[in-house]
Amino acid sequence: MNFAHLHLLLNHFPIIGTIVGLGLFLVSLPGKNEDLRRASLIIFPTMALIAIMTFFSGVGAQGAIKKDPGVSEALIERHQGAAMLAMVFMEITGALSLVALWKAQGKARPASWNRSLSAVLLFSVVTVLLMARVGTTGGDIRHPEIVSGQAERADATGISRMVRAFEPSPGRVAELMTTSKWWWAFMMDMHFVGLALLIGAVGILDLRMLGFAKQIPISSVHRLLPWAMLGFAINLITGVLAFTGMDQYYTYDWAFWLKMLAILLLGLNAAAFYLTDAFHSVENLGPGDDAPPLAKFIAATSLFLWFAVITLGRYIQSFADTITVHK
Amino acid sequence: MGPPVFLQAIEDTGFSTWLRESESPFAFYFILLFHTFGLALLVGANAVVDLRLLGVAQAIPIAPLKRLFKIMWIGFTMNALTGVLLVLAYPTKTLTNWDFYAKLTIIGFAVWVMQKLKNQVFEDASLTDVDRMARGASLAKWSLVLWFAAITAGRLLAYTYKYLTYPS
Repeated sequence: MNFAHLHLLLNHFPIIGTIVGLGLFLVSLPGKNEDLRRASLIIFPTMALIAIMTFFSGVGAQGAIKKDPGVSEALIERHQGAAMLAMVFMEITGALSLVALWKAQGKARPASWNRSLSAVLLFSVVTVLLMARVGTTGGDIRHPEIVSGQAERADATGISRMVRAFEPSPGRVAELMTTSKWWWAFMMDMHFVGLALLIGAVGILDLRMLGFAKQIPISSVHRLLPWAMLGFAINLITGVLAFTGMDQYYTYDWAFWLKMLAILLLGLNAAAFYLTDAFHSVENLGPGDDAPPLAKFIAATSLFLWFAVITLGRYIQSFADTITVHK
Repeated sequence: MGPPVFLQAIEDTGFSTWLRESESPFAFYFILLFHTFGLALLVGANAVVDLRLLGVAQAIPIAPLKRLFKIMWIGFTMNALTGVLLVLAYPTKTLTNWDFYAKLTIIGFAVWVMQKLKNQVFEDASLTDVDRMARGASLAKWSLVLWFAAITAGRLLAYTYKYLTYPS
């Protein structure tokens, strides 16, 4: 597995994708174009998911190049700190976009401007700016042609220095996560609570679509999804924090990466559900009604992938050190 | 005075040793995996019922949720069986750990609440949803608290044990 290559492949998405998303969002404003707005609200969570994978791959990329002459550890740390800060705002933007999408569903006319959309606008702008900084600091590591001598000095301009103050030091974050075994136990505990909530809420929706307990109308169990997303959010946060605490351990583990792949596939599956007519075909089904084949396929895939995620997560411990460094 | 010798006797059996030391992916981690599946089914299904009784997603009719109890029992059975195997794999680690007994006690209460909830809320087919929520809200709240505590107690087992295997 070539982590440097993977990182270079993925990093385009959170940087450029967010610009595209924000662009579409802004363009949708004057004409109140619902389609463009919806597209941007779909792009943000997608980029948020990929941003996490990008962040994870960075650790492996660091491992691949840090012994090269001319590569500065300090620059890598600066880039990683910038990435951590940008990721926080990216994830919040993604979450707010999902909230805005949820609020807008089922409305016949375009949703009028509301607080969720204001929040998405604000956070997406900050995210785009921070991501630009991540890109620049990343480029500074290995592109001598763009470094104009500024990189080594303490950051020159006022804004840069101010942002710098908010960027965490990766080493300190790792230390914080691993100092107390009770904190680690708490994070793992919450990870299981999140999974129970997630499987419960998503599971019952999937099972209903597959024909279980047909007395329940599908649209009603669909209303449980925000709780599933709460479970997912808990697990995303505890998962990312755990990764930052033990990044080498997770990076060189096949089970961990396959788990991430399964999560990306789940994102695709969710997109398929809402962007094809699968959701609309089940939305108004009443008690006793059967879901169409596409919806059943999506539901079965969802259940399978979530159990795959649990399995792979459980086997992380067993698969430690299974990825050999490609050099 | 160390741990009771019978713990070492269990650990020395071929089965226990295999579970602990085998490199096969079907040994310890496989059992632990199904323990997690069981948890997901049991607590997941129970959480959905509890949340509904507490007023979440009121569009869902309560009566059909009775079907979920079957899923909860499948999860519970899975966990009871895998739980026994896990104890057989690490008897000293588990049975000398106070947290393990706390976990079993909490689970005992949680299952008792689960049964009580089923009887009070789901047995009478003539009740309205409003009636069911009134009868079940308090039990639902306790159910959530107890399962959260059970997961916590279980998760902390990895951090509270005194002996991994019988001290030699």
